[in-house]
Amino acid sequence: MSAELDQKLEALTDETLAKGLAVFREHLKEAEAGFLNACVRCGLCADSCHYHRAEPRLENVPGRKLDHIASVFRAHYTTFGRVAPGLVGAKRFDRDMARAWVDAVFGRCSLCGRCSLNCTIGIPMPALFRAARRALGAMGLVPDDLQANVENSLRHGNNMAIEREEWVETLEWIEEELQAETGDPQARIPVDKQGARCLFTVNPREAKFFPLSLQASAKVFWAAKEDWTLASEAGWDLTNYALFTCEDDQAAAIVKNLTDAMTRLGCEVLVIGECGHGYQSARWMGPEWLKSAFPFPVVSILELMDQYLDEGRIQVDPTKNTQPVTLHDPCNLVRHGGISEPQRRVLRRAVNTFTEMAPRGIENYCCGGGGGQLAMSEYRNRRLKAGRMKADQIRATGAKVVAAPCHNCIDQLSELNKEYQLKVHIKTVAELVAAALVPPTSTPSSTPTFAEAQP
Amino acid sequence: MGSLVFNGQVVALNEEGFLVEPGLWNEDLARVLAREEEGLETLDEEHWAVIRFIRAHFEEKQGAPMVRAVCKGTGLRLQRIYDLFPSGPAKGACKLAGLPKPDGCV
Ligand code: SF4
Ligand code: SF4
Ligand code: SF4
Repeated sequence: MSAELDQKLEALTDETLAKGLAVFREHLKEAEAGFLNACVRCGLCADSCHYHRAEPRLENVPGRKLDHIASVFRAHYTTFGRVAPGLVGAKRFDRDMARAWVDAVFGRCSLCGRCSLNCTIGIPMPALFRAARRALGAMGLVPDDLQANVENSLRHGNNMAIEREEWVETLEWIEEELQAETGDPQARIPVDKQGARCLFTVNPREAKFFPLSLQASAKVFWAAKEDWTLASEAGWDLTNYALFTCEDDQAAAIVKNLTDAMTRLGCEVLVIGECGHGYQSARWMGPEWLKSAFPFPVVSILELMDQYLDEGRIQVDPTKNTQPVTLHDPCNLVRHGGISEPQRRVLRRAVNTFTEMAPRGIENYCCGGGGGQLAMSEYRNRRLKAGRMKADQIRATGAKVVAAPCHNCIDQLSELNKEYQLKVHIKTVAELVAAALVPPTSTPSSTPTFAEAQP
Repeated sequence: MGSLVFNGQVVALNEEGFLVEPGLWNEDLARVLAREEEGLETLDEEHWAVIRFIRAHFEEKQGAPMVRAVCKGTGLRLQRIYDLFPSGPAKGACKLAGLPKPDGCV
């Protein structure tokens, strides 16, 4: 735990504790509260959690993390807990308990939901942990670097505080690179195009440090002759770190950037780039936060690419991707988001050898970087340790390339690559598709190939 | 919390190896960070061009520059920057330039 957080815990007053408790109660929906007393301590969830697999100790068992929260609920909100706390394992919410909560729900959990899937009675662990995070937030106990991302989004419209000019200049640069790559001077990255069919959104990390994935997505749109655009002002960043701090009002303000941009530009489809929590935020949580259904469909770029291939709008040559590829399943996209097959169909077409991890799909393990872990420096060592399961899974496939449709996962996987000496390349699905694209014939680009077009 | 010993003094690093006190940075410290944190035994002119550009940007504007600005300012191609710093522009180059960890998914 960081020194700042420790100081804040020391300084907690009774009023702050009471406030946290009230927020916790308020955010427990009745159905979820019922589950707080449901754990039968069977311990089945232990091995479903990557923290526990990497380091088998009591504090890493999901049921134990839950117990810190459930015991407080029993002490304050059940009759038995009030009259005979010892009998039912009820514990009052005090400073030490707040510390235990921080350690359990921020320090040892990526909200990946795998425990929930494997729990005997299906306790919705992430929802309960989120209520606890929300309470800690009301007490000012969200780790600073996680909160900084939220503040950036609220103030600058993107989580890295990128200025409009910097963003637009980067897009112009990538457009030039795309034209050089495709040999087509008409290849465009349209900005603020009124009435474009698709509004595309990206992770600011792509703009700031890793624009090749953005170029790859643009190349796919170019080949599909898609009518698309990016917003120059707020509404281009798909991330929403308030999903991790669990401050719903702030989450609503951030997702509103996307809906406002859809209205401003008059687009028909909101397309979310490759990002697990971004998809989860826009597709599923967004309407809940804003308390109204979106008047437009929200799709992942993975679904679009699948559709392009299916309709023959783009053609790929798998021999362009000869190294064996495996696929990581970002929890927020697959387990929580329900997008599992499109990326698999795409990869089966776009690469020579595709090997699944075991387990795969909704049963796949978290990379360890989710739930805001990547933003919380203080838990870095735990995060890398907890990534051991993922490293072992990757190694077992023998793949040389890991496709990861989530920038958050990509960063964690890159660190695991170094830490565990995996010697793999980590790519987005669009990067693999872009590499395999057969240039469309009806554009001037049919003459120079990718290689010839390189300066 | 990590740390490294530099000129007989202990320099505090955060858990990810970024300087806790960016003001302590100098080029000798960058060499130590390169070796300890990035596994780079030597830094050549291209490394220095990137590191100095990022540092100057940081001192003027506080944050990390866009990789676009780094390419433009140093005349290096994007791929070259990834080759020079195995952990990438953020966890590699910015760290060696003594910046705090950038926000976002990095
Ligand atoms: S949600 Fe994931 S990280 Fe959190 S306790 Fe469950 S399995 Fe572990
Ligand atoms: S699997 Fe479910 S019921 Fe069993 S210990 Fe874990 S949380 Fe409790
Ligand atoms: S970082 Fe990736 S794998 Fe991990 S929780 Fe997010 S989406 Fe899941």
